[in-house]
Amino acid sequence: MIDPQSSVAAVRAYRLLPSALLTIVGWGLPFAEIALGVLLLAGIATRLVAVASAVLLLVFIAAVTSAAARGLSIDCGCFGGGGDVAPGQTAYATEIVRDVGLLLLAVWLVWQPRSRLTLDRFSSERT
Amino acid sequence: MNSTKNLNARERARLAAEQAAARRRDQRILISVVVAFLVVVVAGGITFQAWRTSRSPSAAPSATAAASPVMITNGRPIPLGSADAPVTITLYEDFHCPHCADFEEEFGPTITQAQESGEARVELYPMAFIDEGSITAANAMACAAEAGFGQPYYLALFANHTLQWSDPQLIDLATKVVGSPPSEAFQTCVKRRAHADFVTSINAAADQNHVAQTPTMLINGKDVAIESLTPESLKTMITDAAQK
Repeated sequence: MIDPQSSVAAVRAYRLLPSALLTIVGWGLPFAEIALGVLLLAGIATRLVAVASAVLLLVFIAAVTSAAARGLSIDCGCFGGGGDVAPGQTAYATEIVRDVGLLLLAVWLVWQPRSRLTLDRFSSERT
Repeated sequence: MNSTKNLNARERARLAAEQAAARRRDQRILISVVVAFLVVVVAGGITFQAWRTSRSPSAAPSATAAASPVMITNGRPIPLGSADAPVTITLYEDFHCPHCADFEEEFGPTITQAQESGEARVELYPMAFIDEGSITAANAMACAAEAGFGQPYYLALFANHTLQWSDPQLIDLATKVVGSPPSEAFQTCVKRRAHADFVTSINAAADQNHVAQTPTMLINGKDVAIESLTPESLKTMITDAAQK
């Protein structure tokens, strides 16, 4: 279960947020992501949730890009982990490509939120 | 005829407008529910993590090595284990560094075993660069070593690495390690940050030794590549070093 120290360490490693916000973002962000994921899977308010996910992914892409541009040696903290790593061990390109892929999927859902297994179908087809 | 048609058209328009209004209302409700769900999950998550870091420490893994009190010297590592062990394992760790906690989980038992068999001794540089808890834990580690229970306290700190390390937590941990409330001297040492200068000096020493990341491990002064290490290969390394 999401380690409260490492999720804060992952956020801290980006050196973007003031220390007052590190803890709250480190603790809150993973749960926000899980909640968005659950809503996307269930297909509840798909378009709205897809917009939120796309915005979040844009923030992630910007953060990883800025870490790369500033020459930091960190793990993006995507799917767990995070923190400082040895200079040769960064994988910014892979991380950005993956985030762009996820972003495209989110944009697809903003454009085409309907699919066969969403709960949204029930709420709107009755009207 | 004409008037019926008009009526129908008006009726249809009214129905359509009603339906549109109902749809908008449904949508507003759905959005509120979704936003409320997000807020509840995030707030719940933050509360959960706050609880996890502030609760009292759990019992520590037992360490049988009866340690004697050691002297804390600025800039010098804390010795853990028999002074005449043939192998020296130097460790640079921060008690709040997540990779150190992973390292301890994977390799801690192998190292402890080598310490208990008298094969190796650990020289610990308790660095503190992550947060306030790193400093309080490093200070308490020095207090514990000085009081003679450094080794079990070290293991217990990592076994409970999710805690934020407030003074009561650090004292509670000592109680669990020693089996009874720790001495007044230890408690004062923790609360007054008696070894604050030592902690600073350890950070400086690590810097001077060109240690750029934690965990860093050296066996008899030689850097060990942790990425490719397994508990078995570490065991072999220690045995080999002992035979040289």
